[in-house]
This record gives sequence, C-alpha cells and structure tokens, in this order.
Amino acid sequence: MVVRPELAGPFHDPKPLTEAAVERVLNHVRKPGRYAGGEWNSVRKDWAATALKWCFAYPDLYEIGMSNLGLRILYEVLNDRPDTLAERCFAPDVDLQTELRAARLPLWSLESRRALRDFDVIGLSLGFELVCANMLSMLDLGGTGLTTAERSESDPLVIAGGSIVLNPEPFADFLDAVVLGEGEDVVLEISDVLESIGWNRRVPDSAALAPAAAPAAAGEWRRGVDRTTALRALAAIPGVYVPSFYRPRYLDDGRFDGLEPLDAAAPATVTGRIAADFETNVRGIRQLVPNIGIVFDRAQLEVMRGCTRGCRFCGAGMQSRPLRERAPDVAVDAAEAILRATGYEEIGLTSLSTADYTYVREVATELRRRRPNTVLSIPSTRVDAFTVELVDAIVPTGHRGGFTFAPEAGSQRLRDTINKGVSDEEIARCAQLAFDRGWSSVKLYFMIGLPGETTADVLAIAAISKRVLDMGRRRHGNRAQVKVSLSTFVPKVMTPFQWDGQDTTLEIQAKVDALRTALHGKGLAMSWHDPTASILEAALGRGDRRLGAVIRLAWQKGARFDAWDEHFNYPTWLAAFAEAGLDPAWYAQRDIPTDEPLPWTHLGAGVSTAFLLRDRKRAFDAMTTIDCHWGPCSNCGVPAATGFACETGEQGPRRLLLNVGDGERSWQYVGPPGDPRRAGGSVSDATGANVDGGRDGRRGWPYDLLGREMQSKDASLTGLASLVEAAGGESSA
Amino acid sequence: MSEILQRWRLVFARGEEARYLSHLDAVKGWERAFRRGEIPVATSEGFSPRPKLVFAAPLQLGMLAEHELADLFLAEKLTAPDLRERLSAGMPRGYRVLGLDNVWIGAAALAPRLAAADYRMTLLNVEQPRLAAASERLMASERLMRDRHKEARTVTYDLRPLILDLRVGPSDPAALPPEIGGIEAGPIAATGLWMRLRHSQNLGSGRADEVVAALADEMGMAAVPASGTEEEVEAAGERDGALATPERDASQPPLEVLRPVRERLWLAEELER
Repeated sequence: MVVRPELAGPFHDPKPLTEAAVERVLNHVRKPGRYAGGEWNSVRKDWAATALKWCFAYPDLYEIGMSNLGLRILYEVLNDRPDTLAERCFAPDVDLQTELRAARLPLWSLESRRALRDFDVIGLSLGFELVCANMLSMLDLGGTGLTTAERSESDPLVIAGGSIVLNPEPFADFLDAVVLGEGEDVVLEISDVLESIGWNRRVPDSAALAPAAAPAAAGEWRRGVDRTTALRALAAIPGVYVPSFYRPRYLDDGRFDGLEPLDAAAPATVTGRIAADFETNVRGIRQLVPNIGIVFDRAQLEVMRGCTRGCRFCGAGMQSRPLRERAPDVAVDAAEAILRATGYEEIGLTSLSTADYTYVREVATELRRRRPNTVLSIPSTRVDAFTVELVDAIVPTGHRGGFTFAPEAGSQRLRDTINKGVSDEEIARCAQLAFDRGWSSVKLYFMIGLPGETTADVLAIAAISKRVLDMGRRRHGNRAQVKVSLSTFVPKVMTPFQWDGQDTTLEIQAKVDALRTALHGKGLAMSWHDPTASILEAALGRGDRRLGAVIRLAWQKGARFDAWDEHFNYPTWLAAFAEAGLDPAWYAQRDIPTDEPLPWTHLGAGVSTAFLLRDRKRAFDAMTTIDCHWGPCSNCGVPAATGFACETGEQGPRRLLLNVGDGERSWQYVGPPGDPRRAGGSVSDATGANVDGGRDGRRGWPYDLLGREMQSKDASLTGLASLVEAAGGESSA
Repeated sequence: MSEILQRWRLVFARGEEARYLSHLDAVKGWERAFRRGEIPVATSEGFSPRPKLVFAAPLQLGMLAEHELADLFLAEKLTAPDLRERLSAGMPRGYRVLGLDNVWIGAAALAPRLAAADYRMTLLNVEQPRLAAASERLMASERLMRDRHKEARTVTYDLRPLILDLRVGPSDPAALPPEIGGIEAGPIAATGLWMRLRHSQNLGSGRADEVVAALADEMGMAAVPASGTEEEVEAAGERDGALATPERDASQPPLEVLRPVRERLWLAEELER
C-alpha cells in the first residue's frame, strides 16, 4: 500500500505553509538551513499574478542539488520570463521526512513554501540512477500521485530531465513527460504550450474528475485542459517524450521486443535537444548563492559543452555531443558578470574536459589579470587531459592536494580498447612532472571490469602504480604517496559499450583481491567501492519499464538516498527485484546481442547506432578513434541527428573567431593542438609560470599530458563530487 | 593587512530568511555581500586574509534579532549614504541595517564591552502558571550547574549568575497563527518568556537555549530544539547514535521554542545610563 500523507488545506486555493508550521518541524531536524530558502538570487514572485508555476524538484540533498549548474541555469531562464515562476525543492533528509509524516505536512517549495502539488509543473532533475527512491519520496510528500496513472486532473505535470533520462524507461511509470538533452530552450517552449492550452487555468467544477487515490477536495476545481490533451501538446515539442503514449512488448523469455505507439501524437523516435546559442549566449549569470555550505560552493562558468574525446565507457561524453566552445571574450565577460552578481570568491571553469577547451589558457590568464583575488578552479573530475602545467599555473601553492590522473585501465591494450589511448610512458612523464612541480601525492583512477579485461590488465594497474610511486620516491623520498582508486565499470546507454555486461560480483571480488595483494606496500593505498551499488546503477541504467515496479517496491520497503553509502541497502533492492520476479544481474551483467532491440532504441542523443557498432568493433580490435576536436571526423552521426554544423576536425573550432575581440584586447586564433601557431607561442600567466607545454617536439599541448586535478578542499568530498559529477554539471530540465 | 581608514558601527536586524545560518555561514554571507556591494573592506593579516568585520556576539542558528552590533573596518573612506547604498546593494536576504555610526578607529573592541542581551520567545506545550512557577524556582536557586559540551570534553558551569532577569507572560500573538503547525486537534498551550542574560568577560555569556533547557529540566520536560550550536547537537547526536528519528513521548510533549528573538545587545555604558 502506498503511504500518502493526509493533506491539509484547500486544494484549489493554495496557501503557503505558515512560518510557525515550518519552524516547528525545522526545530526537530539537522541543518534546517537546507529548507529555509532566502538565498541570494533566489526569486520570489507574486503567485497570484504569475501565469505558470514550475517547481524544480531535485531528488538529492540541498548540498548536492544547489551545486548543480543546470538548476542554476534553468532557474534563471524561467524566472526571467515575466509570466512564469520557478521555485525549488530538494529531497528532505530522512529526519525531515519523518517529521513531515508525523506532522502531516506536505513537502514545500523553498521560495513560497507551497506544497509541490500546488504547482503546474514539477521539473524533476534526474542525474543519477540511485536517486530514484528520493524521487518517489518527494512526489509522495509533495502530495501528487506517484505514477502518471494515479495522478488526478488537478495534479501538476511531472516532467523529468537530466543526464540519465536518455533511458527513462525504468522511471517511465512516474513521469508524465521527459525532456531529452539540453533544457534551456525547451523549458520555454513547454511553458508556451502549457499556457496556450490553459493547463495553468483553474476552472470550478463540481463533478469530481479525480480518481479515488486523490483527496476528495480535488474535485472542487479542474484545470483548463485535461491531462491527455496536455500530454499530446507536449509530445509535439521536439525533444519531449511522453512515455504513457507507448507500450512495450516483451518476448516469452523476458527479452524486450519493441515498443508500440498508442497515440497518434506519439512520434516514432525522439532525439535530444541542444541549446541553440550556447557559444554566444551565457545563461545562468545570477546564480543562486546558498546560505549554508554546499559541495561545490563557488560560481560556475561552463566554457565548453560536449566532449569528443570518445572514451567508450563514458555516457556523458557520448551523449552530450556536439562539442561547442565559448569564445574567449564571451567566457571572460560572463565570468566577470557571474562573479559580480554572486559575490563568490571562487569560480570554476567547468565542462566535461576543461583542459580540452581551446582557449583555456587565454581565459584563465585574462581572468587572473582582471581579478587577481578570485580563486580559479577547474573542478570537473571527468577531465582526462589536464596538463600539469595548467594546474600548476592556476592552483596556488598551498591549495594543492594530491594530483589526480585517470588512466582508467592498467595496460596500454585495454586503454586503447576504451579509447583512452595513452601510453605507459605518457602516464609516467605526467606523474614525473607533477612530482617535479611539488606534488608528493598522486591519485590514480582505474576502472575494474571493463569489456575485454584480463587478469594481466588488472595486474598492470599494480605495475604502473608502483612505477609512479618509484618516481615519487626519487623526488620526495618516503613522503611520496600513490593512492589507487577503483570503481566498477557500469555500461551506459548510447555508448559503444551499451551492449556489454558487467562482471559478476565474484569476478570483481577476485580482481580486487588480486590487486590488493599486488598493491601492498608503504606509500601505496587502494580504495574501492562496494560493487553492489554499481550493479543497481547498471540494472536501472539499462533497464526497461518493468523496473518501475521494482523502484516502487524498493521505496515502499524503505529505500532512501541510495547514492549515499550510509543509506544504501542492497538487500532491500534484491527483495524488491525478487518480488517483481526480476533479476538485477540479468539487466546488469548480460551481454546483449547487438541485433536485439534495446528499450531505449526509440530515443536518441545524436550519436548513431551505426557509429556505436563501428566504434565497438574498433574497441575489440584495440584500435583508438581520434578526437575530432583536432583529428578527422569519425562520422558519429550527431550533425545529421541534431542539425548542428560541426566545424571541428581538421578545421579546428574556427567558427568562434567571429566573436573574438572585446574592443581593448585582441584575441587570436591559437590553432588546434600541434598547430605551429600554438606550439610557437608560449603564454605566460600573471605569476610568470609558463602555461604552454607544447615543446620538445611532443605531440603538442595539451594532448601529450593526461590527468585530472581535484582541488584539495574537494578531496574529502570525493564521494559527493562523483555524485555531482554523475548528476551532470550541464544542463538538465 | 590593508590600512584601516574608517570604522563603522553597524546596528542590524536579522529576519526570517536568514535565521537558520550558523555564525560561520553568516560571516561568509556578509563577506559575499561586501564583494557584491564593492565595499572596500580592510582585510586581516595572515595567510588567507579575511575582511575585517567584528561582531559583538555571534548569533545562534535559528535566532531572530532586532538590534545586533558589528564593527566594519574600511580601507577607503566612504560617506554614510554611500556605504548604506552599497550595503543594500549586496546585503544577504533577511538582514536590515538599522544604524550606521562612524566611530573612532582606535575605540575599544565591542565584545569586551558587551554587558547583557535581551531575549524573548514563545514556549509551546506549557501553561503560564506552570512556567512562571518553574521560572521562580530557577531564580530562587543559588546555583544552577549545567554541562556544556566542548568537542570531546564536558565543562560544568553555573548558569544562575548569568541570568539577570526572567519574566513569564502571555505569548506573543504574532507568533501564533490560528492553525499553528496545521496539525493540532485542540488548542495548544503557549506562554511568553522574556529574559536578560549577562555577557561577562570572566563569567562567560548566558545562552537563551540553556535557560530554556534548565526550565525544561525543572518541569521534567524535554526541550526542542536541543540546546547547543549546530555542531554540538550534531556531535551529541552521533555520540548517542540517535540520528534520524526523534523520540516522541506522547504523554509529555516537549517544551518547544517558537520564534526566539534576541531583542537587543547592551553595551556596559548603555546599561549604566
């Protein structure tokens, strides 16, 4: 049975919760500042005078959600529009969940303290599979029906976006609509459509339209248009997927067999959106500034969107193409505007791989010159091409923790398989440079269970780690440290490895045990995560619609905050799977034949299945695919799918030159890596440190160096950082 | 360290939107406000220089305030209207500047001159006569020994000399909307409490939540929220292994604090007048 709080107050005339009511529950909980609102740049509009009301619901703690750049952007985009308002709500921690149920109070929005059910649209941000139980907690506590079928005519529309919705099928039961891709434009189009059909209008109605699950009071009014009509209108917007208009078919043996459209409004396929003017227009200037400490407590400027490195395991990299870079003057001006609007003392230049941003040196140098007291950081932990020189120039001495590299695999062969394509020599040279520049501790990230991995590949992790340690010893003696961090491979949809199953828990355990023995010794430390969370991540990531029942059962059995080690309870999930008659291992560990229909085939991010199959074949031949940021085009299919005219490849991102120049300073085209114009010109930054590494006939800056850096203050927050990373620093609806 | 050219005494109030800030979070918020308002604040010495803003007394998380004091040191001279404008351009939500006084740079520091602070609040689940009796017993006692947790160790101190005055009266109607909490089947008992607590260099500073906890103890009730800073409550929770679920004794509802307000801070010379 679903637990529904008894809902107090009239439904059609939403009143905010009283200060006293909020105060009384907050008296009982930890960190009440999470639920108080009032942040700088938060927007409180006149409820009665605003046509359409959105509430962004972020199914994780305030500290995680407020770090999300996508939320900061979409909040500004919608609130800049006079006829819409956007408020926020984050997952209440377990203590507040208990208090809300005890007090029979609904979950409220931070701005106007109204229940989620009082809004017209709930914008759910889904950035990580393991937040799905929180999604149910929020909908339930917010007073709306849990599933599309259970929602009354007066309930809001629940629209999800974010990095995991490219396969929304496991969550489809709970979502009225899904926005694929980038949200900046589509949230406005959705607002237009809903206002034009009258979804936000309230019509008195004595005949109750509400199903039995909704409170009786719901019958007192209805919206200007019924749900099905609203969903049909949404389905006509490019990039918007309405799951309830499709019915999946399964074979007798349980395999997915395809999907049939049930409604004429349902298109056969839906492709993700890309924001129209990313390169020239920066949204998210007046970023929310939290009152309490959060995970990434700094301003953020996204300098580049998309990634063409082509790491074959990486969902974000494959799903977020095309690559778009912001012109340096656009980036610098935006950074200054954001700093002025927020008062932040620190700004992160974010992207999936900021060292690959063509103008990273120019932008960093110019920001240093204009604002010498602002701390610059390159917080994206997904960067795998970071130059030691760049970090050396940007990060002040004294703020340095361990230097982090992500070789991801131990052997050259396996690195070629996953398209990391970096040699042992390059890793060694990079580590040597870090040690030379004063870092005494190096952290190495590896993945276990990659497709095609052998025992030799696993043991190679130990070999390269020891080699790096020896180099550190020669420079720093016994102070030298190498920390090896292992994670389990999770197959991500719309990557060349989407068909490949995970290792079994026993196989993973054997590999980790072998490494633990091999990595024993002073100066070496190894950490790894319980792989059961990875199994669940993979099962939900590659799952089909039948998993909706599993999610609901797990939530009913008490699953909460599964992304947090202290809350994650695998047996709860196993019991839910068993009760639904399903097996997580079948979803996570099975090698899916490439001719079998996939539950997400009708949805697209841009890269074509033909490209994924071609790249997968190259993977198993241990052949790399060159980054089209500077190499030849690999025909990934993105331009055809998105209509975006790529001007990368041999041409370099030349289109950006049109916008270069801010009147005083002239910017010059630096050319792609290896270009003589780039290699010839050394650029010094304000501190005099040389940030140009393209010397000695090496392949050219920054591609001869591999690694990534996390700021020392983030080091203790690695777990959180990876959550935020998984939640996607990019746009999401 | 930058040169100090001006010192302003700020009198400010803290409202609903800023009340759940710990002292450290509040300081960070002010620093960001100075950057937004482009206020030339002098910075402290040291490896990581901090803007020089000195509060008379930290304000506890959850506490509203009507008359707080802080000294702001500037590296450039500003006129009062200019400073006021810059402050309002960047002030954190929930704060209001009530007064700005240009004071002598060499004037004595605020904190040592602080003599007392007045507080008022509404207490729920207690009738006025019962609270009045408990308050009388408290004031009649010679000593009132309490424990204060400081990281790992526990310090015992005498709270009684820190209580200068304690008055019980009807509750503030403004704090009690008709559907208080939205949950009650019947009316809920509410009583007003006002107190003046001593701030002393050698005896220490009286804390309102400690007085409430002492009153609760006196009446055999639990107090909500528990006394202590956020960090102390957190640490205590971890010690006791009680994290999420608060225990509810249905027979005896806890003494609940509603809208605690620090009405004003008193400097020694102001009280003497």
